[in-house]
Amino acid sequence: MTQGYYGRPIVKPPAWSDLIPTYFFAGGLAGTAATLAFAERAAKNDRLARTLILGAAAGCAVSAFCLIADLKKPERFLHMLRVVKPTSPMSVGVYIFSAFSGSVFIAASSEVTGIARSAGRFFEAIAGIIGPIMSVYTSVLVGDTVMPAWYLPRKTLPLLFAATSASGAGAWGLLFAPARSNGSARRLAILGGTAMVAALQALHRELGPKQAEAYTKGEAGALARSARVLNISGIVCATLAKNSNALSKIAGALLLAGGLTERFAVYRAGCASAKDPKYVLEAQKA
Amino acid sequence: MGFFTDTTLCIGCKACEVACKEWNKLPSDGYEFTGESYDNTKELNGNSWRHVAFIEQLGQERDTSRWLMESDVCKHCTHAGCLDVCPTGAIIRTEFGTVVIQDDICNGCGYCVVACPFGVIGEKQEDHTMGKCTLCYDRLKVGEQPACAKACPTESIQFGVVDELRERAEKRLANVQARFAGAQLYLNDPNDGVGGGGSLFLLLDKPEVYGLPPNPIVPTKDLPLRWRTAGIAAALLFGAVVLCAAVRE
Repeated sequence: MTQGYYGRPIVKPPAWSDLIPTYFFAGGLAGTAATLAFAERAAKNDRLARTLILGAAAGCAVSAFCLIADLKKPERFLHMLRVVKPTSPMSVGVYIFSAFSGSVFIAASSEVTGIARSAGRFFEAIAGIIGPIMSVYTSVLVGDTVMPAWYLPRKTLPLLFAATSASGAGAWGLLFAPARSNGSARRLAILGGTAMVAALQALHRELGPKQAEAYTKGEAGALARSARVLNISGIVCATLAKNSNALSKIAGALLLAGGLTERFAVYRAGCASAKDPKYVLEAQKA
Repeated sequence: MGFFTDTTLCIGCKACEVACKEWNKLPSDGYEFTGESYDNTKELNGNSWRHVAFIEQLGQERDTSRWLMESDVCKHCTHAGCLDVCPTGAIIRTEFGTVVIQDDICNGCGYCVVACPFGVIGEKQEDHTMGKCTLCYDRLKVGEQPACAKACPTESIQFGVVDELRERAEKRLANVQARFAGAQLYLNDPNDGVGGGGSLFLLLDKPEVYGLPPNPIVPTKDLPLRWRTAGIAAALLFGAVVLCAAVRE
């Protein structure tokens, strides 16, 4: 039986394109990569720090492209900077992203050119400190909507975003740094990947069986199952990858693919929970 | 200022839809035939700022029937999700207490679309900004009433000061309650999840029958809690990264 008014959505699904979940992936990865770069620099592991700060820069470049290209009026991108609105996570996010990506680009430029090393290191530290906020603020952005699949998991969605970011940053290190210097990236990939799989289970529990269907059925469910296979394979490879360049790269590739697929699964779940009115009606039952 | 839409008086003529499109120069949504009673407009969106819903109901013995009609519109919420989340300041609260998108500021980010508990906002096809009812801001400024209310032949759409409309709605409800068992007011309570609407409705059945959310809540209500939990997640993430870097195998 169709619910509501001819089964039509009560709330509108996002008018965003797939650039937005891509941004969540790239921006999350960049944030945590910068933090690990900062920590590795402090631990005098310059090789891995270099890979990670360049990874953060790549993530920021992809993010900036996605954010601007997805606007219906891209030429008005700068209108975001005409106000500061604490009630809008997107407004707050624009400033987090601007400060973060600015710091990352200065640090990465200095790393590549060797110019102004101390300024580069300073901004690398700034990026490293902002990094975790950059990685999780997007959970507030999607949580502050009326999509039941994003609105309801108040506790677990930020943890899932943090875990996916950790896994992504670790995977980047595994993929692009040599095995002899990628130890902490490997540990972060294993920790983040495991946390991601666990956080998704916790999210299902927080939602309860009816609301969790948005994550387990349809396209979102298929993506989530693929992500799970990729992530668990990636964790296993990463665990075995110590001192192995080949296994490190396989693990990195699997976890990057798993993280991206996971982001799309979460995104599609949000859309699904808007398209079928049963989720809104269930959530608002007296 | 606001609307009181009394669905007991609606005859489904769609004069409001047409008047709105004419005045606000909104393009057609095409000519798709839905088969859903007389409703081929389907929804409120960037190009349709009034939408007449048609619901055909049969009695349990299928020997009686009734036809519900309701002209839906932006609710101009007291606590408006769209206004809260708009990152450009394009969405404003006007001097009339209404919620308006300034189309020369909007950059089409689409955040308002997913922050509206009523699914009112959509993209305007022609200029790619987001669109919704302005309660005819331009007409209000010169002392006119909105085009839809002016065009409504049965006074199903009434325009006025919200507090007066609330009183009028209460009186009307008391009047029709004896005749219609399911009659109820919608968005007339300033203590509901959106602080009450600038558009209120007298419905003859449950809100969900009309495609309206039964208990709408402005998403921003939880925002401080969300930032706190995100802060904890960020701190955990920072700790995890430092731990991974500090451990040497």
